[in-house]
Amino acid sequence: MKSSRRLASARIIAPVARQLRVAGVLSVTSGLIWPAQAGALAWAISGWVTGEMTRTGIAAALFILGGVLSALLTRAAGACLFDAADRTIARERAALILREARARADVSSAEVAALAVQKLPLLQPWITRYHVAMVRVAILPLVLLAVTFWFSWVAGLVLLVAGPLIPVFMALIGMAAEEASRRQMVEVGTMNAMLMDRLSAMLDIRLLGAVENASADFQDRAEALRVKTMRVLRVAFLSSTVLELFSAIGVAMVAVFVGFTLLGEITFGSWGTQLGLGEGLFLLLIAPEFFQPFRDLAAAWHDRAAGLSVLAELEELDTTGRVAFLGTARETAPLRGPITLALSGAAVAYSDRILPLPDFKLNTGESLALVGPSGAGKSTTLEAIAGLVPLARGRITVCGKTLDEDTADAWRARIAMVPQTPHFADQTLRDWLDPDADEAALRIALELAEADRIVRRLPDGLDTRLGETGGGVSGGEARRLMIARAVLSRRELILADEPTADLDPETAQLVIASLKRLKDAGHSLIVATHDPAVFGAMDLTVEVGS
Amino acid sequence: MKALLPIIRLLLTAEPKSMIRGAALSVIVLLMGAALLGLSGWFITATGIAGLAGIGIAFDVFRPSAGVRFLALGRTAARYGERLLTHDATLRALAALRVTLLRRQVGLDARALARLRGEAELTRIISDVDALDGVILRFVLPGLAALVTHLIVFLALAWLAGWAVAAAVLLGYVPVAVLVFWRLARQSIVPSDQVETQSQALRRGMIDMIRDRQALILRARITAREADLLAIDASTRKMMRALDLSDRNAIAALSVLTAAVTGLALLVGAAFVGQGALDPATGAIGVFVALALAEALPPFARGVADFGRMAGAAKRIGQAPGPIPATAVRPDAKPDEPVLSVDTPELALQLEAGKAAVLTGPSGGGKTSMLMQIAGMAASEGVFILGTRVTEWPDAELRNIVTMVPQRSALIAGTIRENLSLSGETKDEEMWRALAAVALDDVVRARDGLETQLGEGGTGLSGGQARRLTLARALLRKPKLLLLDEPIEGLDDATASRVLTGIRGMLPEAAILATLHRSADHPVFNISQKIDIRR
Repeated sequence: MKSSRRLASARIIAPVARQLRVAGVLSVTSGLIWPAQAGALAWAISGWVTGEMTRTGIAAALFILGGVLSALLTRAAGACLFDAADRTIARERAALILREARARADVSSAEVAALAVQKLPLLQPWITRYHVAMVRVAILPLVLLAVTFWFSWVAGLVLLVAGPLIPVFMALIGMAAEEASRRQMVEVGTMNAMLMDRLSAMLDIRLLGAVENASADFQDRAEALRVKTMRVLRVAFLSSTVLELFSAIGVAMVAVFVGFTLLGEITFGSWGTQLGLGEGLFLLLIAPEFFQPFRDLAAAWHDRAAGLSVLAELEELDTTGRVAFLGTARETAPLRGPITLALSGAAVAYSDRILPLPDFKLNTGESLALVGPSGAGKSTTLEAIAGLVPLARGRITVCGKTLDEDTADAWRARIAMVPQTPHFADQTLRDWLDPDADEAALRIALELAEADRIVRRLPDGLDTRLGETGGGVSGGEARRLMIARAVLSRRELILADEPTADLDPETAQLVIASLKRLKDAGHSLIVATHDPAVFGAMDLTVEVGS
Repeated sequence: MKALLPIIRLLLTAEPKSMIRGAALSVIVLLMGAALLGLSGWFITATGIAGLAGIGIAFDVFRPSAGVRFLALGRTAARYGERLLTHDATLRALAALRVTLLRRQVGLDARALARLRGEAELTRIISDVDALDGVILRFVLPGLAALVTHLIVFLALAWLAGWAVAAAVLLGYVPVAVLVFWRLARQSIVPSDQVETQSQALRRGMIDMIRDRQALILRARITAREADLLAIDASTRKMMRALDLSDRNAIAALSVLTAAVTGLALLVGAAFVGQGALDPATGAIGVFVALALAEALPPFARGVADFGRMAGAAKRIGQAPGPIPATAVRPDAKPDEPVLSVDTPELALQLEAGKAAVLTGPSGGGKTSMLMQIAGMAASEGVFILGTRVTEWPDAELRNIVTMVPQRSALIAGTIRENLSLSGETKDEEMWRALAAVALDDVVRARDGLETQLGEGGTGLSGGQARRLTLARALLRKPKLLLLDEPIEGLDDATASRVLTGIRGMLPEAAILATLHRSADHPVFNISQKIDIRR
């Protein structure tokens, strides 16, 4: 906990310390205006009793002026705080956007996206509310206490007794409030997880005719969850009620004490001179503000906890192992000369082992199959050839040059990859294939990939939106569309990873036919596979992991 | 607002009793706060006057000071009750909103339902539902409580201190506050909705970028994609800045308003006290009440600032289709007709009770969409169930006749028993029979039996086991027509054969139509049909 606090101040707070300081000063200054406003009110009303009615106009003007000033100061403090939070969120989010796709960590993309988009904003209340509440609670109650003591030691004593008790409850309440908000987050989280679970099974539920039943069951579970949550909230709210109780009792005692003093029934509690009506009203108006900073801090307590938990996730993501690619992935002129490729003594380092890659050579227009059992390193070999994983030793020679940081971008400008599992973004098929391609190029590429009939079958043809579930495209169709995409990129060397995995023989034949046509069209091919039908169709076969 | 109204009604009626009590308590909390400060101010001023006049002994101190204590304690207690009741009602409303959403899905077709499995679609729905969770607690209740409190305070002040003082407070607060809120709503309605939609776009964009990274790196497009995402983020944050500014302006305007109304109450009070129409203590009540009313307004401002987001979410959620309209004609099952009769350009097939047919053909050949048509989940021509066009069957009755196990079938988190009884209560021995039919009884028995717990989406079972559990679930429906899309995918040959035989054994009377890649020559099948729409 100590170290997480230090980390928090170094990473989140220190860069915006100046803004936070300014906001703290503005906010405290705004709080200090209240005694003056209260004084104006008390002075005017006490004048009503003594017949000095002229005071009212001045007092009302002063009071309104104070209100305007205090509102402006608070507004300015808010601007500083928003700025601080905005900067922090922008910085952390940009870091995630610029890192997570380039250097892959073993974390699900959905988790990373949730952290960057939904969880980072949780830093905002921590930065904007908690810190200012801390500054205010350190200064304002002390000032108001001193002012109260100046007029009456009994009223001061009431606040002094009720005040320090508050930090004692604060610890308790802080924990309870944290528990309460956590509970509620968990409740909503659980209900959302249940909803997601049901929605993603909805096709089944619907086909089983179980929508009504499943909804009723959901309701029962939600009800059980509610009962459990309310049991916790009942206790959690009780402890925060104690805080309010103390402040209510404090204010009521001050009011009653002042009233009895003014009546002359209580003669002690002030210094020398008897408490007047003006002083009494002033004390009454001051008392609630004495407790307000404590209540603000209590309300901001769980913002801090939420912020720290986001920070912990950021730190964890920073320390996960990552694999970076060679080069910068900038648009570069392609390497010159005919396509050649040679691997010699190359190996890729994983965190727990070194994976040796096979030695082989490939010349322009050749097709080559990488074969071997799963886990032998077929996919890794393809990735190493594309410069997507760095080598631990050995070398890969491409077009007569060593594949390294300087040549990787230019080499990649000549190759395309057909991955095993497709990823369709939320865009039209046309944009996914190649937004710049003309109709003729699209037609040729789709025919080459045996994919033209797929497009004809789709409801809106090339303008069908695929969405992440593929918009009704089957596995074999997705493979052929990916091949068409590779063709459209006009790259000469095509790397394909298990192009026939999970396909029935007929569909697999179509995919193999499209690969053969690629070769006939002059492409070079490297295919990772364990399907005999595929490596039978290639010129060369290389064993991986032997 | 039009889109939001049905949601508000739904949330309010989820548990009207605790909602009303919670709302009443929110008003009471505000009223007691105003009364506490008003009474204390009156008490001190009155005691001050009495002390000066030297009639302190005659002054009734007991009732006012008891009142101050009562209000102080009562307010705390009311606040506790308010929190409990409103949270309770909100939790119920949250559940009601989600249940309604679930029920709505009944009207979607197969394509739309399959899309629901996508992460982006699911997170969009969840995010929208989350936005709507705040409608009551942050928008409706604070707004209503503030309005009612002001009206009651107006009447009380008029009775205590006269119409003029009351009017100064009410007319000072209400019109200007309405103006401030109206301005805030107008300024924030567009950006707050856009912040939500852009956040969802950013989230989807990040997932897309990470999953498609290899292609992006190979095509040297990753820098451009990163720049796109940074641009979305920049414009989202720009809109958040605009929102924050409107929010801060509104809050500042409200605190200036408090100061102005308090000042006004002071001036009006003084005028009446000066004329001798009011005694100073009563005149002061208006000032203190005006101060206390300040706490009624800011909570509502937060809800108003979020209004655009809520309204946008309500529009998106509301777009989901309602239940399928009930068909006017009530078809009678014609027992002489075949259970299934298909006569389309792609397929001609008649299936009697007790017969089983297999559909073969390459993937993408239209087998799945043919099954979906038969199941009434996609538009169809020439498909008849028990002699009636499938599209003319009311949904509920069709589901009792036809059950389909789709290819990528899903389980839910919970026990095996809960998964099996998804469509209704079943006896244990029936469940065990169904499990035995799909050769899963030994696996389940070796774990915790029917109480075996599965994770989200049914994790905890292997792919083949999960597949068989969805088959068992369908068997328990005892359909007249069972449609199976690749039922033995992921099963080894021996298990596949056992499962096919088991299904037939459990439902001897049912007509079965299955699509298969292999084992199409299994003795269970009497009819074999090849389907390939590409010819």
